[in-house]
Amino acid sequence: MNPVIQTNCLRVSFAILMLLMLAVTGTPDVHAGGAVPAAEKHGLEFLRFYCVDCHDPPRPKGGLDLSIYDSVDRLVADALDWEGHLQRVRDGEMPPDDEDVPLPSVDERRDFEKWIVGTLREAACSDGISPGPPMVRRLNRSEYSASVRHLLDIHFDAGEALPADGAGGEGFDNAAETLFISPIHAEKYLEAARSAVEYAMADTRSNRHFLVAKPGGDLSEDDAARRVLKHFLPRAFRRPVTADELGEYTGLYDRLKSSGASWSEGMELTLAAVLVSPHFLFIVENEPSGTDPEPLDDYELATRLAYFLWGAPPDDTLMDLAGQGRLHEAEVLEQQVLRMLGDDHSRKVRQFSQNFVEQWLGTRALGREFRPDPSVGRYDSELEGGMKYEPVFFFHEVLTGNRPLTDLIDSDYTYMNRRLARHYRVEGEFREQPKRVEIADSSRRGGLLGMAAVLAVSSHAHRTSPVLRGKWILETLLGEPPPPPPPNVPELDESGDGDQPKTLRQRLEHHRENPGCATCHDRIDPLGFSLENYDVLGRWRDEADGLPVDTRGTLPDGTEFNGPDELKQLLLNRSESIIRHLTRKMMGYALARGLTYEDLCAVDRIVEDLKADGYRSHRMLLGIVKSVPFRYKLRTPLADQTQEGHETATGNTEQ
Amino acid sequence: MNIHMTKTNPLSRRTLLKGTGAALALPWLEAMIPSRTSASESGAAGGGPQESPKRMAVLFMPNGVREDQWTPEGEGSDFRLSSTLSPLESFRDRLLIPTNLWNQASNVGDGHYVKTSGFLTCQTISKSLGFDLNSNGISMDQVAARGISGRTPLPSLELAISPVSIGVDTNVGYTRVYGSHIAWSRPTRPLAREINPRLVFERLFRVNQPDKGNRDGEKLLLDRVLGDARQLRRKVGAADRVRIDDYLESVRSLEKRIEQASTPEGRTWQPAVDMDPATKPDGIPREHAEHVRLMLDMIALAFQTDSTRICTFMFGNAVSNTNFSFLDGVSGGHHSLSHHERKEENLVQYQRIAQWHVEQYAYLIGRLLEMKEGESTVLDNSMILFGSGLRDGNSHSPRNLPLVIAGSAGGRLRTGQHLVNPTNTPLANLYVAMLKAFGTPVDAFADSTECLPGALVS
Repeated sequence: MNPVIQTNCLRVSFAILMLLMLAVTGTPDVHAGGAVPAAEKHGLEFLRFYCVDCHDPPRPKGGLDLSIYDSVDRLVADALDWEGHLQRVRDGEMPPDDEDVPLPSVDERRDFEKWIVGTLREAACSDGISPGPPMVRRLNRSEYSASVRHLLDIHFDAGEALPADGAGGEGFDNAAETLFISPIHAEKYLEAARSAVEYAMADTRSNRHFLVAKPGGDLSEDDAARRVLKHFLPRAFRRPVTADELGEYTGLYDRLKSSGASWSEGMELTLAAVLVSPHFLFIVENEPSGTDPEPLDDYELATRLAYFLWGAPPDDTLMDLAGQGRLHEAEVLEQQVLRMLGDDHSRKVRQFSQNFVEQWLGTRALGREFRPDPSVGRYDSELEGGMKYEPVFFFHEVLTGNRPLTDLIDSDYTYMNRRLARHYRVEGEFREQPKRVEIADSSRRGGLLGMAAVLAVSSHAHRTSPVLRGKWILETLLGEPPPPPPPNVPELDESGDGDQPKTLRQRLEHHRENPGCATCHDRIDPLGFSLENYDVLGRWRDEADGLPVDTRGTLPDGTEFNGPDELKQLLLNRSESIIRHLTRKMMGYALARGLTYEDLCAVDRIVEDLKADGYRSHRMLLGIVKSVPFRYKLRTPLADQTQEGHETATGNTEQ
Repeated sequence: MNIHMTKTNPLSRRTLLKGTGAALALPWLEAMIPSRTSASESGAAGGGPQESPKRMAVLFMPNGVREDQWTPEGEGSDFRLSSTLSPLESFRDRLLIPTNLWNQASNVGDGHYVKTSGFLTCQTISKSLGFDLNSNGISMDQVAARGISGRTPLPSLELAISPVSIGVDTNVGYTRVYGSHIAWSRPTRPLAREINPRLVFERLFRVNQPDKGNRDGEKLLLDRVLGDARQLRRKVGAADRVRIDDYLESVRSLEKRIEQASTPEGRTWQPAVDMDPATKPDGIPREHAEHVRLMLDMIALAFQTDSTRICTFMFGNAVSNTNFSFLDGVSGGHHSLSHHERKEENLVQYQRIAQWHVEQYAYLIGRLLEMKEGESTVLDNSMILFGSGLRDGNSHSPRNLPLVIAGSAGGRLRTGQHLVNPTNTPLANLYVAMLKAFGTPVDAFADSTECLPGALVS
């Protein structure tokens, strides 16, 4: 590593260098024939100072040559690659600590990230927002269940036996990129389809719904089969089917018949085939023919809309509007969104609310990743249910009631079942089903941070953790995840014993005396401390470990606050950041993929509108539905196509 | 809702799975009904007595071990087991304990995800929240599975206790998909795991009932599905074709299995037992320990019935914080305790948890040892690897990994030894030895430099 050692002595300090440079130039610097603004220079200088020594020709480390990034244009041209590079800088992986070179401080890293993100986003927004590629993904497990339920009108979870789906992109399990197909899937789909159809055929209430014709009287068995399939196929495939496609399925029925199956046996297998067909299991939008962005066709739009707001397939109304070619009309679209959020569809909207909230807040971990120690109190299934559903029902009201999204930070209502009400020491008539409660004493509940589910999943199993709760607020609400601890910093000691200071607060303060820890923990810990009035399971307390709870905190900028109420006030002052992050998450969920800088431009615009409208929830949902990324698609770049082509060499050639 | 309690349909394939609500979950072994003899020559190509099949399983434990209580004392055949490994005492002649192996490719990135996804690939995963997710390798078990493709109804079996962890980890920039998979059949395809023992049982039962159901009808059904998939393949952009291809492959292998199942020659090995539907587990037990036992039973059952010869099992996902307070003296989650800060009170609990895992491993070994196969046992025809992707949970280092193998793959692995290797010997060298023992014709794997000296019976 000779080059590194050579340059080492020159590296006085990047920060000082920058100061000098800015002091000397003050104005835009002259750079290779053009003016480069100082701010631009700043980010590029970071690269040159910290990265290029190793990442330069002829043998750049890791095969990554960063010396080519001498202008913003070059950077913008490789915007996608920068997502990965940036993450490495942010989390401290790069530059590596194993060389004897100075490392950027956390603040420098943060500034660099801000600069790159700002630059790339600005570039992406400047020439109009362009959409992503057509959606091609399989239904996830809960969408599969909802789709089978919709088609067969049965009341059980057909997808129960399918493997769980992981999350990608913005953290949701509907992300196209992580909806893999394993060898086990075909087998599972066949089993699930056969069980569901077998059940539905035997249930007279359910089969009225899809067996729209039965043989008898004038109607032959073959004609009845054709009628059933003609009705069933477009609903299953969420689009009209061609005569050929219909013919293929009636053909299957015919073959089954001639191999000795009865009418109902033949129908059962044929309908199961529809449910195992990739036309049903996958959402597939057509590739645009031209190179310009194209609007989705109306059936594609209906499908996106329905899986977004319902997690379920489009209903007859949406399909009819698509059939008339009217769904894309702005007014119709808006009407439909509001109709879909209406009371008639509350079960499906609640499913949406649950899918979104549990993954955004991480409360799906209750009873899974999070199981409290018996020592922290009784945790039974009714309490778990009450905790789990409080944010779901609450968010459902925010969405359907066109509430201000700032209700998430503080509100004068929430939802409790009997067990949760007792847990919160709230008087009144309650049942097992959660119900709406006006909050009398707003200091203890209201908003997400007063909810037991949130307070629990941001705790350890056996005690609260101001660090985890602070991190939760930064990451989940503000969208500013702190980097992981640097490798050579001593382990954070939250547990304490022996000659260590006594209270958790004292131990954490001791820990923050180390400047390596302080840069991040000064931001994290005070937020968490203000919630110390809540125990692991979210119950209110004035004492912990025999001492009065101390909830005071001071942020790095000097802001002082004390307790949950003042924390909420502090967060309300940052409403815009919080709602921008929520909108981003919602956009990621709606598009069912990770977001690009282009998508973030769309998010920025929606947030501007929201701000002008008091952050009303309908504005956010409508803004997303009407946005370019949601309504349009762009052909997959040809370069990607050839590159990916190699990977399909799994022996699946056409026959 | 139990969907198996519906009317009996002439086409139903579920006749035998119905009405087993009163079945005891355990012990299932005693209820196994011996049927054919293992000396059955049918189907053995070229005549002569059949050689017992080789099996391979990998049991992955998250969060590492207490490092000063793992490594045995002494070398070669003269060794004393550490406290953590003490539950294996009665099997010591059947153990191969390699020391000083490391997984260099996982010595970057973060503390857990890289170490988990890379455990069996010995490659570095790409930093990704999902887009262009890539493990950059194929896991060792899948290399072995490919070599024996088509000889068993299931190419491999992937099992776990927890579903895929939720969300993406924005602190370190990885999707938690990475931390939830050790088996990769392609660099861009992690294999889905089954966590419900009842569903595993039903699956095994299905593939062992060749005469049941409407095979012809299902074949026609799948032909239609394949037709649709081919049509769709032409419609989508090349980037998305991969997923459709995956589905095609999945449907094809199902079709092939249905075909093979209807011909007795389809199976290359006639197992000594049939499955008893009365032993079907009820579902996922609430207790962690019981859940683990049932899954281990399913591995034993799968091997004994020769439903598959390859299995991977994850005791927990990366960063698993499973609450082990059901163990005496333990309070709190696994991951929290693995950050022991070198305090004895934490280390004691951390060690206890690792030892519990070894006890479960010993349980599986014991089960497999009870399963006679001719003159031998299923265990002796297997290699069961137990290990973690990092050594010490406090420092997350993938050096000197805690690993142990039980079973000799039919006398090919040299067991009964503590094999002390030079410091920083590639883990992949062990995998080369295991693959060779398994009969896979490989000389190299990932960053291997040679086949691990002393591991194979020469």
